[in-house]
Amino acid sequence: MTTQADTPHILRPAGEIKLETRRLALFYNEFRALKDISVAFPARRITALIGPSGCGKSSFLRCLNRMNDLIDGARVEGEVLLDGTDIYHSEIDIPLLRRRVGMVFQQPNPFPMTVYDNVAYGPRLHRAPGRADLDEIVERSLRSAALWDEVKDKLHQSALDLSGGQQQRLCIARVLAVEPEVVLMDEPCSALDPTATFRIEELMLELVERYTIVIVTHNMYQASRVSHYAGFFLMGELIEYGETVQIFESPKDRRTDDYVRGRFG
Amino acid sequence: MTSAQISRAARAEKAAFVLLWIAAGTVILPVLAILVVMAWRGAGGLSWSFVTSTREGLLPAIAGTVALVAVTAAIAAPLGVAAAIYLSEYARSGRLVRFIRLSIVNLAGVPSVVYGLFGLALFVTLMRFGRSLLAGACTLALLVLPLVISASEEALRQVPRGLREASFALGATRWQTVRRVVLPNALPGIITGLILAVGRAAGETAPILFTAAFLSLSHPFPTSVFDPVLALPYQLYVMATEAPQVSEVQKWATALVLVAVVLGLNLAAIILRARLRRRRW
Repeated sequence: MTTQADTPHILRPAGEIKLETRRLALFYNEFRALKDISVAFPARRITALIGPSGCGKSSFLRCLNRMNDLIDGARVEGEVLLDGTDIYHSEIDIPLLRRRVGMVFQQPNPFPMTVYDNVAYGPRLHRAPGRADLDEIVERSLRSAALWDEVKDKLHQSALDLSGGQQQRLCIARVLAVEPEVVLMDEPCSALDPTATFRIEELMLELVERYTIVIVTHNMYQASRVSHYAGFFLMGELIEYGETVQIFESPKDRRTDDYVRGRFG
Repeated sequence: MTSAQISRAARAEKAAFVLLWIAAGTVILPVLAILVVMAWRGAGGLSWSFVTSTREGLLPAIAGTVALVAVTAAIAAPLGVAAAIYLSEYARSGRLVRFIRLSIVNLAGVPSVVYGLFGLALFVTLMRFGRSLLAGACTLALLVLPLVISASEEALRQVPRGLREASFALGATRWQTVRRVVLPNALPGIITGLILAVGRAAGETAPILFTAAFLSLSHPFPTSVFDPVLALPYQLYVMATEAPQVSEVQKWATALVLVAVVLGLNLAAIILRARLRRRRW
């Protein structure tokens, strides 16, 4: 393991890097929301991004699948490399990028459609799968999201009738149905009760065998339970990045130390 | 506070309440008055044959209004909804968009008789539609376009951002997101706005006065969009100004039918909105 010379507390993990940013900066009009962020996310690992509200961790996550493109006045500088290719290059196919880098949002946001149609939404966008094919994709995705047993008898009922935790797992199934390589999660449990949160965390540990996961969370216990790597954001800067155990037990930067010990935030 | 001050405050409160209540109540009065007077004076003239007869009745005018309104909706709906989709889903704030919005506001402020003259110049004369159903419907479509655009835009804005984001994040293009998520969820509001716009069009006289309306006993019904048509508001206008031989009760009965058509459309919009809101998809 090596650290970058100019940013001593930012670790570059060994092994296969799936996604990384180089000197990433984000502006909302004149306001600089993120400054000079260079960080590498290893393949098939869970990386947690922590930090106080408004530190830019969610904004950062939304740079990774170009969701900030949808916001008027948002502008990105620097590079985001997915398998070594800059996703901000002008010839990038953005819908294709978003299929490769899926996203789960803070509020469960199922479409007002049936459970089945929610999961089938992504596959139907890109090709016209046959009925049997689609049935198989829906079942496989719901099984991967640990939701199949609960909804197999109500596939054709409204997704809005599910509980909050089920809705969030449905949103995860919906993402898995387009077969992404990276799954970004933006505080996926903040609207859920402890039981539902536990199920999502369990699910993440299963999914990480096949997917690279980056999760933003304000819950430090969650970060320490599920993640392999952790990054600490403060006021638009990445202060420290390393293995989760190191970040929580022997942080190198005093501000990280203060935060993980609960002195502020 | 002394008790005198308290009772003064209480009296002021009471007075404010009464005055404000009267102001609000005043709004109901003209509506009731119009309905009561019309029913009082026109109900006697209403009969099945008066409404459905071609020669002495209102059938040509009713049919003409229905035809005008249908063609108006066929023109204004696609144009208005498409414009609203552009403004709400595609446009980024800029000079062009500001100019479009300003135009919509101004379009809504133009007096209806100006639409009539404009329609005469553009559709009847320049585009050679003649005095016709098509020219009238084009003119009415211009008149209701701002209504359709604002109502549709409002309905589109009501669709939660989270649904759009979910769709984009799954790799949908903008148009796929509009087609599959935004539009279906905005449809109740859009349809309601359309019906209200159509109700407005049904009641207008000035825009069709020079562009479509024509009282002809030999051709009571249009056979193509290039034929002139009779319409309820126009028939009422002619009855009231140029036909002394028509009895008062018939004029009032005609007014009653016109108002019934417009209120009926508004009522349909309200019921539809309530029903579609209850349904989730």
